[in-house]
Formats: sequence, structure tokens, C-alpha cells
Amino acid sequence: MIVFKSSFFYDKHTEVTVREKRKQMGSRDYMVITNNPLVLDRLKETHHIVYRDISYEEILREVRDRIHEGHTLLSHPLSGSVKPNETPYKSIMLSERKGEIDEGSVQLIENAIQACRKFIFKSDLYEESVYDDFQLIDWSLLESGMASADVW
Amino acid sequence: MRLEMGHIYIKDIQFAAESKIEDGILYVSEEAVRAVALEDEKIKSVSFDIAKPGESVRITPVKDVIEPRVKVEGRGGIFPGVIAKVDTVGEGKTYALKGMAVVTAGKIVGFQEGIIDMTGPGADYTPFSKTLNLVMVCEPVDDIKPHDYEKAVRFAGFRVAVYLGELARELTPDETKVYETCTIKEGMEKYPNLPRVAYVQMLQSQGLLHDTYVYGVDAKKIVPTIMSPTEVMDGAIVSGNCVSACDKNPTYVHLNNPVVHDMFEQHGKTFNFVCHIITNENVYLADKQRSSDWTAKLCKMLDLDGVIVSQEGFGNPDTDLIMNCKKIEAEGVKTVIITDEYAGRDGKSQSLADSDPAADAVVTGGNANQVIILPKLDKVIGTLDYVTKIAGASEETLREDGSLEVELQVLTGATNETGFNKLSAR
Amino acid sequence: MAKLRVVHYINQFFAQIGGEEKADYPAELRVGEIVGPGQALTQQFGEDAEIVATIVCGDSYFNENLDKAKADILAMVKEQAPDVFVAGPAFNAGRYGVACGTIAAAVQEELGIPAVTGMYIENPGADMFKTKVYIVSTKNSAAGMRDAVKKLAPLTVKIGRGEAIGASSEEGYIPNGVRVNFFEKERGSQRAVKMLIKKLADKPFETEFPMPDFDRVDPNPAVKDLAHAKIALVTSGGIVPKGNPDHIESSSASHYGEYDIAGVMDLTEETYETAHGGYDPVYANEDSDRVLPVDVLRDMEKEGKIGELHHLFYTTTGNGTAVASSKAFAAEFSQKLKADGVDAVILTST
Repeated sequence: MIVFKSSFFYDKHTEVTVREKRKQMGSRDYMVITNNPLVLDRLKETHHIVYRDISYEEILREVRDRIHEGHTLLSHPLSGSVKPNETPYKSIMLSERKGEIDEGSVQLIENAIQACRKFIFKSDLYEESVYDDFQLIDWSLLESGMASADVW
Repeated sequence: MRLEMGHIYIKDIQFAAESKIEDGILYVSEEAVRAVALEDEKIKSVSFDIAKPGESVRITPVKDVIEPRVKVEGRGGIFPGVIAKVDTVGEGKTYALKGMAVVTAGKIVGFQEGIIDMTGPGADYTPFSKTLNLVMVCEPVDDIKPHDYEKAVRFAGFRVAVYLGELARELTPDETKVYETCTIKEGMEKYPNLPRVAYVQMLQSQGLLHDTYVYGVDAKKIVPTIMSPTEVMDGAIVSGNCVSACDKNPTYVHLNNPVVHDMFEQHGKTFNFVCHIITNENVYLADKQRSSDWTAKLCKMLDLDGVIVSQEGFGNPDTDLIMNCKKIEAEGVKTVIITDEYAGRDGKSQSLADSDPAADAVVTGGNANQVIILPKLDKVIGTLDYVTKIAGASEETLREDGSLEVELQVLTGATNETGFNKLSAR
Repeated sequence: MAKLRVVHYINQFFAQIGGEEKADYPAELRVGEIVGPGQALTQQFGEDAEIVATIVCGDSYFNENLDKAKADILAMVKEQAPDVFVAGPAFNAGRYGVACGTIAAAVQEELGIPAVTGMYIENPGADMFKTKVYIVSTKNSAAGMRDAVKKLAPLTVKIGRGEAIGASSEEGYIPNGVRVNFFEKERGSQRAVKMLIKKLADKPFETEFPMPDFDRVDPNPAVKDLAHAKIALVTSGGIVPKGNPDHIESSSASHYGEYDIAGVMDLTEETYETAHGGYDPVYANEDSDRVLPVDVLRDMEKEGKIGELHHLFYTTTGNGTAVASSKAFAAEFSQKLKADGVDAVILTST
């Protein structure tokens, strides 16, 4: 596999980082990569959020690139029983710190990217209101991961 | 622990002025069950309907399926920590209304899922086409949050099931089965030459609409622990899980857990069924590590020779399944795992999101991506409005002749991962 | 229902022409004849199908004159216009198995006539062709003919009629990587309990889902003296000279390419591109060095960090390409690399 810099394939999006605030709040050792506006809205003041207006699979690739930069996966990329290509939203927790490339993380993210393709794409078929539900579910999955992380 | 299960066979369900069970017929006072359901002010209205095997009826979107039971002797009550007060269950005497179920339905989220067809090809796949179903469709008060609605429907279903179970309290069961396990020491002495085995059950525990409760405790907050296998028969584990209809475990499956029952069949004959170990499927990877470390540790501490591990759900739990399998095998304990597959519509994709050579004994509940045509049925209980929005349904879902083209995913219980069905794949 | 017309392919041995000494027997069409195992098949077919012609070909002849034999046999089959084509069964005969697989796959792909064969699971032909044609799983010798024909005949009829084919365990074919649902006799939990009992007793048991077979390769020790090493580039990213002269497929590649980069300092948009259909090609087409880093290696050559860049590179598309094909490609060009004195290879993928 060739490792491209994350900026290689993607236009630069606004990276919403409120590092100062985060510093004030003590050192949370994770960031959240997300395409879920609800997550951005709820966490932007308190957490390191990398928000991208891209697809579910592209979020996985964004995470993949960061794993190759040395970040470690903290939450499961296929969290939730709502299938990829069904829900358009995905939020994933990554370690703030960089180190050696974590092989377990590489494997998990690669399997997750592969799994995406098994499902017929229908993320764009829903009524407006359904997207609120998708956002809420994704948020709650992330929230349950953060609850575990914040214990430390 | 010794539990006597009394089976009362229900041959028919009818609405009547008074609720009672007579000659195998369950008479339901709609007024009475409505009152039970509406005890929660978050539920605005509820409608009841009866669906029988073979009828041209489609129930959707299904939330939970529950078998009515009543505790007639011994500690505690059905659904401890949820409906009954907290007390250890699993011993004494319990009656169950067999051949029927309470089915809760309602649109909790816009992509709500779960279809039960009482006839046609869909009926071959969902186990709940074979039960007489009392269906309750719950409408919430306005502007309710999905998690409040989910909880309200979850509890309403349990209350109605317990109400119906109570009707059997004074009856004489048609059949009685006794389930008995030993303490650790007793088992060693009684079956010195039999292999020691346990059941490791993974519980869905990822967040809203993905939750399971053990004695009322949210399973994502537990560390793996051991139970007597009879505890689930009294409702120690209940479902709060609404997503992935085909491979989530409705409460009915917890009550009638097929692995527990089939392991009991061999208990004292080919092996010693030592206990039921429960663990979770959290989204946070460190939780997965802790939980799988613990299941392996418990297997070792219990001196087990073998376990069956069952899964619930898709994707994320594949990782838990493989971690459990690998670590338990590494302790020298032989494992058989039960899963289902997402091999794509053509069956050619990689079935699981994780794998390991240690998982050399796998039972599968089939490929959930398999496409099936569900013909138009005469009656719909619930609403079809959302069928096109359920997992596995696509834009061509509703075809011109009214039939549905969907994946098995949408059928409640179709690819159950506790081995509830005969469906498999090669 | 009209009887299905079947053309049956067998080797010289099963046609009772002779053994190894007759293996160079050229392809021969026998119209209206039922030969050797064809008798047993005919019996099993009953009213459903009939063998209208038998093709006999020596195993050596087939494998040594592959192109001609294939073309001749395809012409014979085409002429008979059967509903379905059956080859073998080949049991554990290696060259016969490969011939059966090759010709069955060719009949299916090139003539559009459904085909089926049969062989022992360890026959090399099984691994090569199990994803291309249905291969009935047989015993390892002709003593298993009765058993083989019992599975082969009904499957032939089903395939000939275009009926849905069930799971491998139901139909008796070698698992082909396509997962098919079916109903077992017992529920899953019972099957799990039985499997556990067998596993506990160290008795053989059969998993319902074999874990994917990962062929893990330990990395070679590090190159000690990079400054004098001859380095070659190999890629599964599909980089080819502009125009893709050897028509390497965008997915499921059937071959690889070997290209000379002597004197090439940089892969440009005008000279190179990717044939790969599994990723967005824009950036690779813009600058193929992004996949096959010739420019960087030329720099390193100049700087003396590496000895030299080998003048040939090898390329294919990894996209959906069968592991067996990839292995075969690599086995072949690795020999060439070794012969050319290459010390190390940089293998890039996408």
C-alpha cells in the first residue's frame, strides 16, 4: 500500500480545532473524525473535532490515512448496526498522540473499508427527517465510546 | 440451580370482554391490555391486532418480540430489574405461554426496520411467522425523543407480556421441563469425566437502539460475568435493540435462548454445562480488549474445556467475536462460534469484518444480503411507509405489483446468531 | 421437457485408448457415441439429458498444444451446439483435471454454453478453476465413479436448464467462494453443540464458514548494502506505458506487463498511465511516479543511495485479480528478476 498524505486526495476542508479550549479542559487524548453535523455542533466547543463534508467511506479513508501517520484507532470504525451506505454518517475516535503505526488499527480500518462495498448505496434516498435520526444514532454510538474514554 | 419450566400451549388468541386462558385459547380484553400499555404517559395511543400463522399479514416495523411468562414459585419475578424488582431469578417454577408472542411495533426512527410475514416466502425465514402474535403498535406523544420512545415501547411490551403471563398463574402446564445446573464443586464431583463447557453470549451494547439490559443494567457498563443458564428463562436479559432486524436478539430469543436449551440437552450426558458467561460489544476498542480478556480469564478460572460463543449484530461485533475466540482458544479452551454473514447480494464478498485462523469451527446463520421477493400481502399491521427505509431495502424495494424486493436483513430474526434458525450458507 | 443435449469430454485413459503412452492422442469428436464414464452418466441422466457426442483428447496433447487443442475442441463443441458441457470427472489425475477445468471454463466463457466438471479437491485443476466452473467434488480415484456421477449428473441437468444452483454442500460441488443460503435440518445452536462435541473429542468436524486463507509471508532480511544494490520496481497499481499496449485488464487481470525504463527519468502524463479500475485514476494518470516511483529512485541512483534501478519493471492490476493468478505472475517474473541479478524489489500497491 502506498501511503499518501491525507491532503493528497482531498481538498482542504476547514479543520475545526479548538485546541486552546481543549488545553484549558485538560488533555483529552482523542480526536473525533466525523461527517456528522450534529457531532460537530455538540462537541466543537469542547473537543478536537475534524469535520469533513464527505461520505461514510471517505471518512474511513480519512481515518486510514491518519492511522498511517501514527494515530491509533480508539473506536470501532463499523460501530452501529446501521449499515454503511445506509446511514451517511460516521464518527470515529482516534488517538491525539502519534506513535508507531498500529497494526491492529490498520487491519480494522482496512476491513471496514472493504465491508462498505457489500452494501447497496442508498444513503441519499431518505426523507429529510430521517437524516436527523441517522445523525442522532451516530452521535449516540460516539457518545458511548466517549463515555468509556472519558473514564480515564 | 433448578428451574421447572411449565409450558402452556396457546392454540388461538381472541379478543374478548375478559382476559383469560381457557382450553388453550388466550382471550384478550383489549381494554385491559390498552390500559396496561398506556400506563406510560409517553405513549399516546396503542392499537392491538392479532396475526396468525398462514394469514396474509405483514407486521412492520417490528421492535421487539416477547413470550409471556409468569413466575409461580421461587425468588423474583419475570424481567427482574425491569418489571419485577431486583432479585436473582432462575430457580423455582416458571410458566410460559408457548406458541405465541407479543410483538411490539412502532416507528421509533425513520429507518426503523423489522418485517414479520405470516405467510409466503418471508415466513420461511422469520421464526415469528410460526407464533400466534398479539401485535401492539404504539404511538408516542408528540415531539418525543427517539430514546424516550424506544424505552416507552420496550417497557410497554414487557408490561403487556407480564400481564398475559399472569393469566396462567393458576393453570396446570401441558408439559414441564426441568433445567438444573450444579455449583462448580458439585459439577466436578458429579461429572468427573465429562468435559466442562460454557456458553459465552455476546450482548449488543453500542448505544441508542443498540442496547441490551441485564437485570436492568445497561450491558455496555458490565464487565463479563457468569450466570446460571436458567436465569435468562425468567427474563434476566432483555432487548433494547432495534437495529439490524435479522441478527438482533429479540427478548423472545433471550427467554428461549437456543444455545442454552440445546446445551442443557447434553448436560450430564456428553458434557457438563457449567455456566452462562455474558459479555458485551462496545464501540470503544479498549472496552473490547477488557471484555475479551475477561471472558478468556473466566473460561480459564472455570477450568473449561470448551465454549460456544454467540454474536449479535453486524460489523463492530465481528471484532469482539474474533477477539473472544482467539483469546479463549489461546487459553486452551476449544471454541465454536455462531455468526451470520454479509457476503453481498452476489455472495462473493468477504462475509465478516474480522477473521482469524483460530476460528476454525463456525456455525453460520446465512448471508443477510440475500435478496428475497416478498409478495404483496392482504393486510399490513403497522405501516409500510418506512419499509423502503429499512436496512437492506433499496429504491426498487416497492415494485409495481406491490411486492417488495429486499435483503434478508429486513426480516426479524432471519439470520439470528444464537442459532435460532435452520438457515445456513456454504 | 425435451432431453438436454450434452457433449462429454474425456481423456485417452477413460476412452480406453491407453495410458500414459497414448497421452499424445489428439482431440477427436465422436458424434452419437457414449464412451466410458458417459455410460454411467447416461444412466443417471435418465429422461433428463442425453450425451450427443463425446470428445476424446490425450492429456499430454491437450496440455502441450494448449491453444490448438482448445480451439479444436471449442469448434467441435460449437458444432454440436449442446445445452450443457460435461468434462471428466478427472478424480486425482492432475493433467486431466487441468484439461477438464480449462476446457469447461473455455466452453462456458467463449461459447456461452454452461459447463461442469468433477475432480478430487486436491487435484491442481480444482484450485485453478473452482471459481470459474462448478466442479463436483469426487473421491481421489476412479473407484469413486458411481459416487461422482450421482452428483455430477443432477448438477449437469440443473446447470443445463439454467435452474438456481444451491449451496455447495447441497449440490456436492467444491466451494467456489460464492456464499449460498440454504436450510439445514437442524437449527444453528444444535449444529454448534454437535460441532463442539466433536471438537472436544478431537474428532473431525466441518466448519460452515472457513476463515479466509491469508497467505502471510515473512519479510526478507533487510538489504545490507543498499548503495550497491540493484533495485527493481513492481506494482499491482496498473502503471503501464500510455495506451496500455498489452491490454492489461482494469480488473481481474489475466496477465502482467514487463516494460523497459532504461533512460526514463520521470513518468509523465504523456508517457505513462494506470490501467487499474479500482481507484480514482486522476492522480496516477497525472503523474505515474505516484504509484511507481521511478523519479525518486533515479534521484537515489544519482545520490548513490542505491546501486542502480533495474531497467525493467513488472506491473499488473491487483483489482479483483485472483490470488492464484497473482501468485503465478509473481512466480514467473521473480525468476526473471533473479536471473537479472536484482537484489531487492519495491512492490507498490494502491
